[in-house]
Amino acid sequence: MALEIDPITFAVIKNGLDTIVDDMAYTVMRTARSPIVRDVLDYSATICDAQGRILAQAKTVALHLGAVPDAMSVVMDEYGDDLVPGDVIILNDPYAGGMHLPDIFMFKPIFHDGALRGFSVVIAHHCDVGGRVPGSNASDSTEIYQEGLRIPPLKLYAAGIPDRSLLALIKKNVRLPDMVIGDLQAQLATCNVGERAFVNLFRKYGIDALGQYFDALLDYGELLTRQAIRAWPNGRYQFTDYIDDDGFAPGPIPIVCVIEVQDDHLMVDFDGSSPQVKGAINCTLSYTKSSTYLGIRCALGRDVPNNAGVYRCITITAPEGSILNPRLPAPVAARALTGYRVVDAVLGAMAGIVPDLVMAAGEGGNTVVCFGGYEAGSQTPFILVDMINGAWGGRAGKDGIEGVTNPSQNMSNMPVETLEARYPIRIEEYGLREDSCGPGEHRGGLGLVRQYRLLADEAVLQLRADRAVNPPYGLFGGGPAAPSRNILNPDGRAEELPSKLTRTLHAGDVIRHEQAGGGGYGDPLRRDPDRVAADVANEKISRDFAERKFGVILSPDGFQPDLAASEACRKRRRDAVE
Amino acid sequence: MELENGARIGVDIGGTFTDLVLSDGRGRTWFDKRASTPAKPEIAVLDGIAGLLQKAGLRPGDLLEVLHGTTVGSNTLLQKSGACTGLITTRGFRDVLEIGRVRTPDMFDLQWDKPVPLVPRRLRRVVSERIAADGGIVRPLDEGELRIVGRELAAAGVESIAICFINSFRNPAHERRAEAVLRECLPGLAITASVSVLAEMREYERTSTAVVNAYVQPVLQSYLRRLGEGLLALGVTAPLLVSDSNGGLAAARTAQEKPVFFISSGRSAGVVGAARLGQAAGEDNLVVFDMGGTTASASLVQNGEISRASEYEFRDGMSAPARFIKAGGYMMRVPTVDVAEVGSGGGSIAWIDDGGLLHVGPVSAGADPGPACYGQGGDRPTVSDANVVLGYLPDRLAGGELHLDVDKARLVIDRDLAQPLGLSVEDAAYGVREVANANMARAFRAVSIERGIDPRDFTLAAFGGSGPAHACDLASSLDITRVMLPMMPGVFTALGMLTGDVERHFVTAMPGRLDDLDMGELTGAVASLRALAEAALRDENFAAEQMRFAFSLELCFDGQNSELPVLLPDPVSGASHSWLRQQFHAAYEAMYQYVADDVVEVVNLRLLARGVRPGKLDFQSLTVTDTGGDQRESDDRRVYFGRDLGWRQTPILDRRKFAGDASGPLILESADSTVVVPPGGRLTGDGLGNLLIDLTGEIG
Repeated sequence: MALEIDPITFAVIKNGLDTIVDDMAYTVMRTARSPIVRDVLDYSATICDAQGRILAQAKTVALHLGAVPDAMSVVMDEYGDDLVPGDVIILNDPYAGGMHLPDIFMFKPIFHDGALRGFSVVIAHHCDVGGRVPGSNASDSTEIYQEGLRIPPLKLYAAGIPDRSLLALIKKNVRLPDMVIGDLQAQLATCNVGERAFVNLFRKYGIDALGQYFDALLDYGELLTRQAIRAWPNGRYQFTDYIDDDGFAPGPIPIVCVIEVQDDHLMVDFDGSSPQVKGAINCTLSYTKSSTYLGIRCALGRDVPNNAGVYRCITITAPEGSILNPRLPAPVAARALTGYRVVDAVLGAMAGIVPDLVMAAGEGGNTVVCFGGYEAGSQTPFILVDMINGAWGGRAGKDGIEGVTNPSQNMSNMPVETLEARYPIRIEEYGLREDSCGPGEHRGGLGLVRQYRLLADEAVLQLRADRAVNPPYGLFGGGPAAPSRNILNPDGRAEELPSKLTRTLHAGDVIRHEQAGGGGYGDPLRRDPDRVAADVANEKISRDFAERKFGVILSPDGFQPDLAASEACRKRRRDAVE
Repeated sequence: MELENGARIGVDIGGTFTDLVLSDGRGRTWFDKRASTPAKPEIAVLDGIAGLLQKAGLRPGDLLEVLHGTTVGSNTLLQKSGACTGLITTRGFRDVLEIGRVRTPDMFDLQWDKPVPLVPRRLRRVVSERIAADGGIVRPLDEGELRIVGRELAAAGVESIAICFINSFRNPAHERRAEAVLRECLPGLAITASVSVLAEMREYERTSTAVVNAYVQPVLQSYLRRLGEGLLALGVTAPLLVSDSNGGLAAARTAQEKPVFFISSGRSAGVVGAARLGQAAGEDNLVVFDMGGTTASASLVQNGEISRASEYEFRDGMSAPARFIKAGGYMMRVPTVDVAEVGSGGGSIAWIDDGGLLHVGPVSAGADPGPACYGQGGDRPTVSDANVVLGYLPDRLAGGELHLDVDKARLVIDRDLAQPLGLSVEDAAYGVREVANANMARAFRAVSIERGIDPRDFTLAAFGGSGPAHACDLASSLDITRVMLPMMPGVFTALGMLTGDVERHFVTAMPGRLDDLDMGELTGAVASLRALAEAALRDENFAAEQMRFAFSLELCFDGQNSELPVLLPDPVSGASHSWLRQQFHAAYEAMYQYVADDVVEVVNLRLLARGVRPGKLDFQSLTVTDTGGDQRESDDRRVYFGRDLGWRQTPILDRRKFAGDASGPLILESADSTVVVPPGGRLTGDGLGNLLIDLTGEIG
């Protein structure tokens, strides 16, 4: 840290920047129109300096983390010397700084004392941007032109004057124009909040001093990150994970991650990953980077700030034309699934570097269940989009968690009673799935079960799951979790369904999704027999599972491990392996 | 009735101290602050009451009311020391409690531990029954199965059972029947039907609320029984009223029946007291700031109304009603004062991370070993140590019992902070204060800016042991220019109890579109809630003219998950569909700064019934009769006010001797707290015993 930096002022300015992005996040939440932004909190807010470097980012959606630098550099390339006060730039093109079309980025350059000082940046997931399917988010499009309106970096406002042509074009091309325009206004209001507070910071501390503190803040982020990486052993760490399929061709689709630790720097490369695919699960490089930062970020301390200093320590590459860096016109709308698997692959590679800081694979990302149809005997349409989350894998020293969001975002679940009051569907079961955990010294979390009965005459079901063929992996001797399953009418003529499907259902049909659990961590034969017995007592695992997977034999009443019999059983297993 | 002029006592149990305030009803007041007795909290309460009565020269029979805030409920959750509890749910929904709302409080933290559910899976049992979303019966309740399940739970050692069936808020018949069956076949067990504590939609919130109730009930019942017996043994026959999480009071019997409403008993009473004080002092807009040993909390009073929330989460000893984080704490959907809490108190430890950044908290030295300056074995620098080094705190505390070791405080700050940062000891200490203030400022933003309210227009009302020492700096950092410090800030929460009314809450679900709302049905629902409330208040000895009823209809836009209340006119026939929509739009716009023309839905009808207590404290004529300790001689010492202002020779006054106007720098000391007025601050008394500090002046 440079000598002229006062540590107390430094702490206060850092807090001040965190407060600005917090206030921006609150502003989005208060002013947004669409439920996905307001209730699911699918947005993020960032402050950058004049060079476009991230100074602070609100903790909203984890996977927006790494997308801003690429988008910012596209904006700088396009408009770097053509910015004036009152300009506002938007973009959503995945092939020019964006992630997928529903995510519209907005940038407002901030001027003070006659010069550019920084940017307010707000990303929001819009409820619709046109294209062939409502919500602009379908996984079965085959080129980006089907997915909606593509916006290259354009000035929505030039020197404070709105561009009527651009606004009119957007309005004509989306299904819910009022909501989209309303959310754009919310983004603008938020940019303005950030601008005001940022200018105040300059008034208080002065231009020169603040510039020095910003440098120091990025250096601080870099320093913490480099300190962490320097403690990791140099070397090359590889891990491959798989997506089952893209809904068109049989899989598996490999995601190959190689992390090279070079003293205090990380090189991450995805060479060997699948070429781009027909279905819309291709993932642009910026989203690949986001997912990679997330996986690595989880191994850094919680106090490491979200700023550009962190990204200086990590270089990420993926071959062009691959599923992780696709070429036009590959469709990308449902790239979230691929992002989940990138996180899984990165954590798998990190397991070789920092075994104590990672977890075995979780459920593999949320399962999305959509029903669309008409209420019984009426013309009232309904569309239910339900998301099922999730389980974490086992960790060093502790079990995985069950009933928890994937760490890639921080989503909630829809209450059963709310769902039933609004849609002609009855939920027959929502609970933990027994025996679905990956066995390990620290077992994975149990997956969830959610079972739906259709009460309307007819509806179209769209279901997107994964991990039915390639289950969540275990680590260090821990076993994989149970794979996911989709079952039609489990109590009648049960029919196993594929993991991704579209199909018409009729009144009384029942759909059951059994989600994968989390993978196990460490040798299951070393799991504390008392913990195995407790899981049996809680009916989280069966007696049979306890014996088969953990080598633990229980007393006849089922609540106590028979230690002698268990030890003998475990010894037999170990001997058999050797 | 002599009610207007009788003596009343307010008691607040905190983590470290039990505070008591006795008011004789003629404006004279006595207080006491004594160490809490966590194993048997009633001991400190009873000893304190006996002591205060003696000081005041009153007999036990002179007391008209005992008003009580207790941490027994929150400690039971914190220490997981509640009853062995069972849960019975609809088949298919055994795990609703454990799954929760699946969010996490932080990102990037793979080491997070989800709180362990209060009822383990083996004690969560299911029965056959099902109510449809419209209240129809899909499958009847299997009573035979229920009896078997109940007996099995009892055999497994369960002392308390919660029941929560899907859609019971729409049709409670199965839950009510199950409650009756279990009471009959398991006499002696505590039974909580979810609709008895929360007749609202959303199965997780209702289940969790019912489970917390069941879990805490036997513990709180037994504590209040022991306290009641102890009071009788002292000769106190006055009714015992307990403060609820919403700052209202209720008979101890009600707290025993529905303990989930009383988990944050006490904490909210300070806010109620502050609002009442603001009313007396003509201050309608307050930011209320309470800073103790381990936490600081912020809440808001706007136009005289306390900001409230309809649910909150208890987690790691901290609780927050924040909309951002519904993340695996113990969720309670009960009315509560909207308080944001942060882990910054006098005992919070200051430390430097690997990148050289100074942090304060959330780890606290607590009461044991306490800050280094207490000389009780604490060896890490805390906020109180910084305050001692800077001259803010005297060398003795709490009425002179505790001597503070300035040299020890200097030593740990120098060793752990100043040297690594390359700063002088006073700059490092001042930095600790600045960082702690910045943390607390975030709590204030959570209750103000997050809700679209600009705190600059508000007066900061500060209390708690450490509040008055930080109030002015905190106000400055939020651009607040007016600070109010009540009399007896260190025991203000106990004082606040004396200002409350009795409150009871009732709710009934009325799901449907606003356009389809049958006004006749609404009138009927209002009448039946009112009848329930009248009976409950009559039970607490209120006459009809002392009862106040506030009905509100909770509305939301189609598809939303959070609703806003619209206060109904009296009589309800004054409300029409268009009037309700208009009121909702106005409330929505005030909250979110825009309004949609989407379909409006009705969620709940809610009733807040109030029994107005005669003779409650109004702060109009309050004098402290005895503050304990010797009168302090006027004095002065050097105090550090930051790099720009440096050390200033600062007059130190006994608060009891202060009268009239004065300018900072100035420090006022009393047995329960220390008031710091910075250079430039203008201090005046308001004639009601409050101190007002104006921070608009130039720093001199």
